[in-house]
Amino acid sequence: MIVRIFKVTEHSLTPDYKEGDFVLVIKIPLLFNRYKPGDIIVFDHPLHGRMIKRVQNLISENKTLFVTGSQPDSIDSRQFGPIQAHTVLGKVVWHIKKTSSR
Amino acid sequence: MIYKLFETLDKVFGIEEVKAHCDIPCGIYDPITAQIAALTVVRMVDLATDLEKNTAEKGLAYLNTISRYVAVKEEHAEKVKNDVRVIWGDYLKAQHLEKYPNVHALVHKIMSLGSKSRQTMDRESAVQLVEAVNEFAQIFWETKGIATKRAKAPYNPALELVYPNL
Repeated sequence: MIVRIFKVTEHSLTPDYKEGDFVLVIKIPLLFNRYKPGDIIVFDHPLHGRMIKRVQNLISENKTLFVTGSQPDSIDSRQFGPIQAHTVLGKVVWHIKKTSSR
Repeated sequence: MIYKLFETLDKVFGIEEVKAHCDIPCGIYDPITAQIAALTVVRMVDLATDLEKNTAEKGLAYLNTISRYVAVKEEHAEKVKNDVRVIWGDYLKAQHLEKYPNVHALVHKIMSLGSKSRQTMDRESAVQLVEAVNEFAQIFWETKGIATKRAKAPYNPALELVYPNL
């Protein structure tokens, strides 16, 4: 099992995930279909870099996932198509929201 | 405060970032407007050429129509230049340019052909403009991972355009 922490930037998952939030992501060398619609995953996109999006659905024949953001201007599978399962770094299991108290 | 703890960890060790990427304000980019404008330039050259050939008496009515064709040609050649510049400047990012290093030269070619299409009635350079914009559209759709096809536009001048295979 691989555990990683990432910091969220940009706004496509607003209002659930905001810029500055932290996420704890785990990857158990798990089977592809352990991801399910609604999961928030981190993956590497060849052009856009390391991204965080919500799984919309899985296409099990070719091991790809269709991912989207919450905002209409989100750059996601609606533009670049489904992503390859092997590019997924894991799913979010703990979401540490940014607190306003400074 | 757990957030505080993570914030401190971030400051000390630097936590990696993940992008919830979006394109504010709208993210709507499509080279089809430039492609149609380029076709319009060719169409105006064709209409003006035909009228010139088929009008015996080149009076006021003739001059009026020719002026209108030329005005539309001017406007659409400029539109091609503008719409391509917007995609080139606002949509294409460093990683796209890395992958398509010929984009700058291609955009420059489109600018030159666009100007030539305004200055002249040369059909050949207008057709080259359509082709250069097609090439640009092809790259644009490739950056989005969307396959393309070439098909003849279903209106005059029925030149081939690159369309996304959606």
